[in-house]
Amino acid sequence: MSWKQILLALAGFGVVIGALIVAGAVPSDALQTVIQKALTTPAGWRDILRETTPLLLLGCSVFLALKAGLFNIGADGQFVVGAMASVAVALQNFGPLTIPLAIVVGTLAGGLWALPVGLIKAYRGGHEVITTIMLNNIAFFLSVFLVKGVLKDPESQSPTTAYIAEAAKLPNLVQNGPFRLNIALLFAIAVALALWWYLKRTVGGYELNATGANSKAAKFAGIQIEKVIVRSMTTSGAIAGLAGALQVLAYENRFYSGFSPGYGFDALGVALLAGGSPLALLGSGLLFGIIGKSTTVLSLTGVPKGLSFILLGILVIVFASFRYRKEPSHD
Amino acid sequence: MIDLTYLVAAISFGSLLTSTLTFSAPLILGALGGLCSERSGVINIGLEGKMLAAACATGYIAQASQNPILGLTAGIFVATLLAMLHWTLTQTYRIDHIISGMGINALCAGGTSLISKTFPELGSKQMAAFSIYVYWLCAWTAVIAIWWILKSTRGGLRLYAVGNDPDKSRQMGIKPGKVRLQALLGTGLLTGLAGALIVTNAGSFSDGMTSGRGYIALAALILGGWRPWPTLIAAVLFGLFDSLQLQLQGQPLFGQVIPGEFWQALPYLVTLIALAGIAGKSRAPAGLGKP
Repeated sequence: MSWKQILLALAGFGVVIGALIVAGAVPSDALQTVIQKALTTPAGWRDILRETTPLLLLGCSVFLALKAGLFNIGADGQFVVGAMASVAVALQNFGPLTIPLAIVVGTLAGGLWALPVGLIKAYRGGHEVITTIMLNNIAFFLSVFLVKGVLKDPESQSPTTAYIAEAAKLPNLVQNGPFRLNIALLFAIAVALALWWYLKRTVGGYELNATGANSKAAKFAGIQIEKVIVRSMTTSGAIAGLAGALQVLAYENRFYSGFSPGYGFDALGVALLAGGSPLALLGSGLLFGIIGKSTTVLSLTGVPKGLSFILLGILVIVFASFRYRKEPSHD
Repeated sequence: MIDLTYLVAAISFGSLLTSTLTFSAPLILGALGGLCSERSGVINIGLEGKMLAAACATGYIAQASQNPILGLTAGIFVATLLAMLHWTLTQTYRIDHIISGMGINALCAGGTSLISKTFPELGSKQMAAFSIYVYWLCAWTAVIAIWWILKSTRGGLRLYAVGNDPDKSRQMGIKPGKVRLQALLGTGLLTGLAGALIVTNAGSFSDGMTSGRGYIALAALILGGWRPWPTLIAAVLFGLFDSLQLQLQGQPLFGQVIPGEFWQALPYLVTLIALAGIAGKSRAPAGLGKP
């Protein structure tokens, strides 16, 4: 850690405090509000764990791509497409198969949405950041179109689908007063553990790491990096699609215009903060969940929600100054 | 055929031309801002954030001071400040360019939303602004200026050199950091103009008002192969899609009403298909993202 990084961290801290003051809040009071209303109440923890579920999964998605040397800026679009596909299935009645089918279809849709990104990167050399930005916007407009059209709930005035049936909802594991813990969080934790196992213990994971660390060296070592790129991008998209499916089945129970509040961008923060280990995603996912709930609590006291994006931007920049640096070969 | 005549009758070509010019001008300016940056090797996905922040600054300062020059200056100043932040983060801190761009976008989205929600009374006054024609002129002049600078000046050639191979440029005695600083000053100026134009056209600032136009500008830049004239054509094409969408709202085309969302998604779709069809990489500056 050098003085430059400390300076950047301090400047970032100053911006956040400054933003609080501009919004007319006293920083110490704001902290107290967060502790009282979010961190020490069962209802607060219910919402934190609820927020953590998509953030952890999307964090896994971005993390996996990042390990392969790819920036999946498109997790947001894959999340939306996954949620949309999942709700389309969940609104039908397939008996006991409804939930598994909705999860599988959502996951596949997310993966398919990321497939062109991998293909264009591997075989055409088009940068994945560009293609994912394009696909995010296409996903957004597609979702608006569908939710105003074929998927729209005819009973409702606003662009939203109908709510899914009670039997299609994922159950809560714990339900105690206002506190809830949905089974979806366990799915998310399982994915993080599986990711750790995949990256550390399997040939595929080894190839992925090698490609991300140095694609030229990996190619010389006989790894088919094109296939690795397509595979990791699609898997990353599939995890984001799963996040969308679980968000529908466990929490939102419907799909509407503006479904994602920008989770895909938070996910980059989650993945960056986790640094090297997938297990650290559990901690960073929870932290971003806490940030999400805290800014919601603060917005009730008059601090605009924009604060969360400021915090996100600062965190991402400060973490990145410690990691993901690029040194010139000779200066 | 009946549909086609119907269609032609539905379009008013005069207003189509003016609205295309108006819609494409911020895309041209934004894309050229991106061109300055990316030709020097600095990936810039933060165009959206810079345009949004500039729109916010121009809108509020022009309302408070009732002085169009002050408003425009504030917008350019804020965008330039952000471009300098991007420069510092990528060149001094060596942060990955994409992360820095994302971070700046998040900061701008959050910051402008915070300001517009905290001071809602600011948006109510009439803002003093230049005529939209001034911005058309700026956009088209900028294309000529940048084309000429890149092609015929020492600075322009150095920009190309640094963007294509920063290591070799170092060996030639050119400091990539310094060239990129100048390039990013250009990015600040142009994205500042783009943001000011957007708020001028709308009349006052509203939360998230650039609505992805920074990304469309980026798309135009890529579709144009990082070259000024093709980039201009791409930006005008995207502007045309926008105005067609307005004119064809609810009008059937070949027996189908084309939804507005299709037109809005079209620029992204075209860019995606272009990237899938013709190699996107070979035309990009070779040193993009390199330290």
